[in-house]
Amino acid sequence: MKRASQIVLLALSIGLLMGSDSQAVRYEKLGSKIMCTCSCGQMLLKCNHVGCPNSSKMIAQLHDQLGNGRSGDAGNAGNAKSDEDVLNFFRTEWGVTAVVEPSQHGFELLAWILPFVGLIAGTILLMIVVAKWKRRPAQVNPADAVLDPHMDALRARARRETEI
Amino acid sequence: MPLLGDFCLLFALALSLYSFVVGIIGVVRKDRVGYMLAETARRAGIASFVAVTGAALALVWAALNNDFSVAYILHHSNRALPTPYKLAALWSGQEGSLLFWAWLLSGYGFVLRLRHKVDQRLVATTSMILAGVQIFFLILVTFVARPFGMMDSVAADGKGLNPLLQYAEMVIHPPMLYLGYVGFSVPFAFALAALIMKYPGEKWIHITRRWTMVTWLFLTCGIFLGAHWAYAVLGWGGYWGWDPVENASLLPWLTGTAFLHSVMMQEKRGMMKVWNVWLIFTTFMLSIFGTLLTRSGIVQSVHAFAQSGIGQWFAGDFGWIATPWHFSIPYVYPGFLEIIFAVCLWFYLKNRSHLQSENKLESLVSRESSFLFNNLVLLAACFAVLCGTLFPILSDWVRGYKITVGAPFFNKVMIPIGLFLVFLTGVGPLLAWRNTSIGSLRKNFAIPAGLALIMAIALPFVGVSPKADMAHFYSWLTFVVSTLVIATIASEFIRGGRVLQGKLQTNIFGAMYHLTRRNMRRYGGYVVHFGVVLVVVGVAGQAFNLEKEQEMGLGDKLAVGHYVLIGQEYSQDDNANYESESALLDVYKDGKYLTRLDPETRIFKVSRQPNHIVANYSTLREDLYVIYEGNNPDTGHPIIKAFVNPLVAWVWIGVVVIIFGTGLALVPNAQQMRSPVQVAVPVPSLETKGMTTAGAGE
Repeated sequence: MKRASQIVLLALSIGLLMGSDSQAVRYEKLGSKIMCTCSCGQMLLKCNHVGCPNSSKMIAQLHDQLGNGRSGDAGNAGNAKSDEDVLNFFRTEWGVTAVVEPSQHGFELLAWILPFVGLIAGTILLMIVVAKWKRRPAQVNPADAVLDPHMDALRARARRETEI
Repeated sequence: MPLLGDFCLLFALALSLYSFVVGIIGVVRKDRVGYMLAETARRAGIASFVAVTGAALALVWAALNNDFSVAYILHHSNRALPTPYKLAALWSGQEGSLLFWAWLLSGYGFVLRLRHKVDQRLVATTSMILAGVQIFFLILVTFVARPFGMMDSVAADGKGLNPLLQYAEMVIHPPMLYLGYVGFSVPFAFALAALIMKYPGEKWIHITRRWTMVTWLFLTCGIFLGAHWAYAVLGWGGYWGWDPVENASLLPWLTGTAFLHSVMMQEKRGMMKVWNVWLIFTTFMLSIFGTLLTRSGIVQSVHAFAQSGIGQWFAGDFGWIATPWHFSIPYVYPGFLEIIFAVCLWFYLKNRSHLQSENKLESLVSRESSFLFNNLVLLAACFAVLCGTLFPILSDWVRGYKITVGAPFFNKVMIPIGLFLVFLTGVGPLLAWRNTSIGSLRKNFAIPAGLALIMAIALPFVGVSPKADMAHFYSWLTFVVSTLVIATIASEFIRGGRVLQGKLQTNIFGAMYHLTRRNMRRYGGYVVHFGVVLVVVGVAGQAFNLEKEQEMGLGDKLAVGHYVLIGQEYSQDDNANYESESALLDVYKDGKYLTRLDPETRIFKVSRQPNHIVANYSTLREDLYVIYEGNNPDTGHPIIKAFVNPLVAWVWIGVVVIIFGTGLALVPNAQQMRSPVQVAVPVPSLETKGMTTAGAGE
């Protein structure tokens, strides 16, 4: 059982890490993280506002940024731009509200951490509650005290015959 | 008529105040006088419903009769507006929707007070709490956001209804949501009343179970109607954008769903009493919080039509008052939310000894622990949505600017949580109350897990490969987990059916029917789970969406996926309400003629706002979703945008299944049937200890 769960975890981790993005996929991915700034409230690649003053320019800039960059790995070359670099360009050029995903450093990192901190804190709390519950003796219902032990045999029979 | 409306509101406020104050006296005094006073408070509560109904009718009358002397009607209606939308004007703006809220609340209170004989003392306390909530909303509509505010001069025509709201579903989406939001007031009031009274037993839960389920159903319908409206009207090809106001409706839905599950622990095992009480308190507070988000404008949203500055009435305020002596005095005053929280906390601290668990957790591999994990994940989802929704406000406080937290963030955080939740949906029902042996777990899981494994291997052969990118990986995982869940649900029906089949001498389908009739709540719940899986499968299709935009003259072709669209005709129209431009496009799939679509764009005359009428060819496999984006100003040619959205229909089918399942769960069980094997076990012991029996366990 333990080994099976380890295999499942490993498979999930590999799955989560796999997948290299092509330029077209990066364009789609980054374009869906940038908001058109013409106040239409649409994502850049979804902006269907005819005659939009900003989206064409922003899309051209996105192409330009991706054209300058080569891969998602910023450390390989001096002029290569990572996804975060591209998003930072739009944050600088069009304001922080142009990118709909919080940055992964500084104060905005908190947005990414908080949900998982909540989940972990909740899990720890749950463990404490469960441990407390398991230690606590059950309050015996007086009615049960009268019914046991004779009722146990009947319960076992009922469970056997109606088990699903 | 506006004067009558104002009078009705004032009268309703006076009646609610009476119902609240005299209700408290009636509850505190336990003698005959107290009983008489509580009875008058109950009747005042009933009369307040009549008064608020009078006010709501006065506003509807003003809308239908184009009474533009009323500021609200001037700003939310016009003469050319079709009659159904004039009715919808009641909830299309701030003041009207608050009146609508007050009316629904008084309506729920009306039903509750009529059914007071279920438990007169409990209902009297509950009624008093509801009157307290109602006072808040009536103060708002009487003094702060007045629906019957008058204009100095009467305009010839009104400013019209927001074009985005001029859509059939918009007539029912807000009422459904409000029925959900407001409906949670009733279980909240019952829970608080039970806590105040130290009410013995779980009767309040039995009384409120149907209230909570109906409320949850309304909220579910409201959320999905909103999603369908976004899909059909906003024209961006999607149905859920993680807009703050969408999130606001999701928050109480998540905690309400957690409550519906964890409340079974209290019913069956007398556990999680503190948790359940706080869960329903939180759900109610999140409903109010949702209203705050919708109304206050503290976050940017597509629902900006309902924004105003009444947020401080909900959330309170703090700040500094400047003095002439070079220093400022701090001030702080609580809003409705803080008052509610303080009241709940006070009574919890005072009476918490009443909420001790009656049983202990016997095993981690049990139905009880699956409910615990289910609640943990639902609450984690709620917390994550809350964090993302409020983070712009936090960043404004800390950094001085509001960052945008949009769909990419929520998708990254929520998809893993959601998938885990779906997985638990499959696992939970296979666990027995108290303890489940590993052998039984293995036996129950073998077939579903095997089917899920086959699905995992088969999917890449039909183009769903986990290796393509993250979106495809999540989609693949969703299909695999969904297979597991559907298989576990089916196995639950089949195993239960087989047990009954022999006893009732019927076929498996007849046995499954009888099984369901014996425990509507349990098997209705499974049908709801099945509906949720269908919705999730529909959402997973998003990973394979295609889209293409193109300028199209007559005879031009646009190819997207298997489809080719050919421009056949372009036309313009004009009526009293709007001007429109539309296209007729012939659709071919794999070279064969399929259908003709007519996407349209409307420009509303009063507001000059455009609105897309989407042309959608929907099949179980995919939607061909086409919008007319307008004309290229340089060439004059129409611009057409087409999307191929796989599996979207399953989202709407899933919702119908959820509604059906909830309906089943609301139906009372059939009488226990005679079977050849009769076990002479006293009924109370079976019920109170929650044994697992065919169709009788939960």
